[in-house]
Amino acid sequence: MKIRILAITCLAVLLCGTVWASEPIKIGLLSDLSGATSSVGRPYADGIKACAEYLNEEGGINGRPIVLDQVDYAYNVQQALAAYKRMKSQGIVALQGWGTGDTEALVKFVAKDEMPTFSASYSAHLTDPNTAPYNFFCAADYSTQARAALKFVRENWKEERAPKLALIYPDAPYGLAPLAAAEAYARELGFEIVGKEIVDLKAMEATTQLLRLQKVAPDYAWVGGTTPSTAVVLKDAQKLKMNVIFITNIWGSDENIFDLAGTAANGHISIQAAKVYGQPCEGMVVIEKLTKGVPQMTHFIRGFVSMLTMAEGLKRAEAAGQLNGPGIKAALESMRDFDPMGLAAPISFYPDDHRPNLAVSLYELRDDKLNFLGEQTLERKKEWLGK
Amino acid sequence: MSGKCGLFYTSYRAEAGLFPSRFQKACMAAFMAVLLICPWFLGSYPVSVLNLICIAVIGAVSLNLLTGVCGQISLGHGAFIGVGAYASAWFAGQGLPFAISLPLGGAVAAVIGMFFGIPSLRLKGIYLAIATLAAQLILEYVFLHWEGVTGGPYGLSVDSPVIFGLTLDTDRSMYYLILFCTVLSVLAAANVMRTRPGRAFVAIRDHHLSAEIVGVNLFAVKLQAFGLSSFMAGIAGGLWGHYTMYITPEPFGIGLSVSYLAMIIIGGLGSVLGSVFGAVFITLLPEGLNMVAGSLAGLFPNVSTYFLAMKEGVFGLILVLFLVFEPEGLARRWRLLKSYWKLYPFAY
Repeated sequence: MKIRILAITCLAVLLCGTVWASEPIKIGLLSDLSGATSSVGRPYADGIKACAEYLNEEGGINGRPIVLDQVDYAYNVQQALAAYKRMKSQGIVALQGWGTGDTEALVKFVAKDEMPTFSASYSAHLTDPNTAPYNFFCAADYSTQARAALKFVRENWKEERAPKLALIYPDAPYGLAPLAAAEAYARELGFEIVGKEIVDLKAMEATTQLLRLQKVAPDYAWVGGTTPSTAVVLKDAQKLKMNVIFITNIWGSDENIFDLAGTAANGHISIQAAKVYGQPCEGMVVIEKLTKGVPQMTHFIRGFVSMLTMAEGLKRAEAAGQLNGPGIKAALESMRDFDPMGLAAPISFYPDDHRPNLAVSLYELRDDKLNFLGEQTLERKKEWLGK
Repeated sequence: MSGKCGLFYTSYRAEAGLFPSRFQKACMAAFMAVLLICPWFLGSYPVSVLNLICIAVIGAVSLNLLTGVCGQISLGHGAFIGVGAYASAWFAGQGLPFAISLPLGGAVAAVIGMFFGIPSLRLKGIYLAIATLAAQLILEYVFLHWEGVTGGPYGLSVDSPVIFGLTLDTDRSMYYLILFCTVLSVLAAANVMRTRPGRAFVAIRDHHLSAEIVGVNLFAVKLQAFGLSSFMAGIAGGLWGHYTMYITPEPFGIGLSVSYLAMIIIGGLGSVLGSVFGAVFITLLPEGLNMVAGSLAGLFPNVSTYFLAMKEGVFGLILVLFLVFEPEGLARRWRLLKSYWKLYPFAY
């Protein structure tokens, strides 16, 4: 009799354990599906959702399925705050955020609530755990991207004279964030900075600015805008027959640039932090299967990587029995050279340094394709952290 | 006098009372009691929405004083709110207690508002709107480039308010602080409208020449309106900054100014109650649309995709419908509703 009771008790405990183990893990997904950045926000969110689908097919987080609680905040900070509060009250354990405004408005909230947050705002100051202890992202920060691209270009410069560089950017937080870092590093590398011009994110033409730059004849121009504003710059430069190679920031060019700029896009360099659709790697096989071979934008791939990295943190925290804010944070900070299935450069987070890596992929825009040029990895210098 | 049927006044003072009947006083007391106890029954999300509504109420009331009551159109209100947020955060960063840094932030916003209000003596209507738009653009530039004070593109970190040694770092504690400031602001605005300067505001709005003829100093009174409105906007900004604990230039763009204009138009120009209704409506509308989109997503994934794309359009459509069918705003609808029930079941 005693043995039977013991067996029933053990079975009950096991069953309870099974039920507990299959309890879903809620993740908040703050997306811009209808606001100012929805053209890139939507594919990024789709990438996150596709990754969650893939992870669930593979058994979820150690047997527990991922459930995404998606809210469209239309790129409005106030709506993002309210959405975050709602998702938190519904029991999310981590957050996939999106843009600059909402990520920064939430920095202190997520720190106070101990809510690990991934976003697609790559401002360098979010990599410093002293100011943003619960913020993470999966691409090199804007400053690092600019530095690495400049180093790549400098190393491939063949002429004796110093290369001439111009900087084109919007007078907005996103455009200004990497400017000082790019300028300082360019001088350090031996670039001659010949001009700085402001082109608004909503600019319809940039002839005036480009005419001024034409006089100083830069060899390269770094463009820190978004795809539509970059397209304006490229088309006007083509019209003026300028002989300059534009280096476009991570949000400055994607697969849409060919529709917007046409042949004017040819020959310029695009900074990216993940593979583009179709590039061979383990993760691309999964993505191609998930998307049934329908090409997706590079933002989709980055969203996929972001969810994949967060899931790795969740798995480690779950295995340690610490599936909570501090546990996930500690798990992420223990990550060393995590390979996101080859879709991006290996990712490491440290307790005092949340820079995922210091690598950028460079692509040449040509013939309606982003053609891989090479990858540039910088040294993890302490003095660059957060700047 | 449709709202005060059955009351008999024996003095002007009694007639000008904010709550002329006992019933109104009892209703207001009950409403305040509900507001005071509701955070104990509500979760973090509804309380945070209430916080956002209260901040919006202060901002809308302040803009209504300037635009609805005094007739001075402002397209720079979002920036004045930003000035308050940055100034209050800066003073707090210098070690000043919250109780001082918040009104100081409001004072800085008032000074800046009065400065940009100077052209109002010469400019009216659309011209003044463009002048205040210039204020918006100039202030946005300052937020972005005065790095020593504003943190530039990286923004400014703000600590939670500390009052009498108590750190207000939860939604509930912040709610009481914000509610207190909101009640003060609403009462202040309602009282200002009953004072001599308040009547001068209305006189200027209705006909500036007549106002001048009866002895209103146009320049001084207009500046007072800009100063008072900007002060309250600064308080709203200060509360926003201390609530979110991080300020960047992005939220204080032209979109915020337009959003506040929408609040007072939907609520009712020149009405304090209308400002409250407008703030509640505009803050809750996106939440409601999100809820509808969320519930549709479960049933019809494709329908919700189209609905999300239409969301901004729905928002615009509602604004247009209000302008066409209820140009006097929700405040008038409220008055009609009250009259209906007061006279029910008789039509007249």
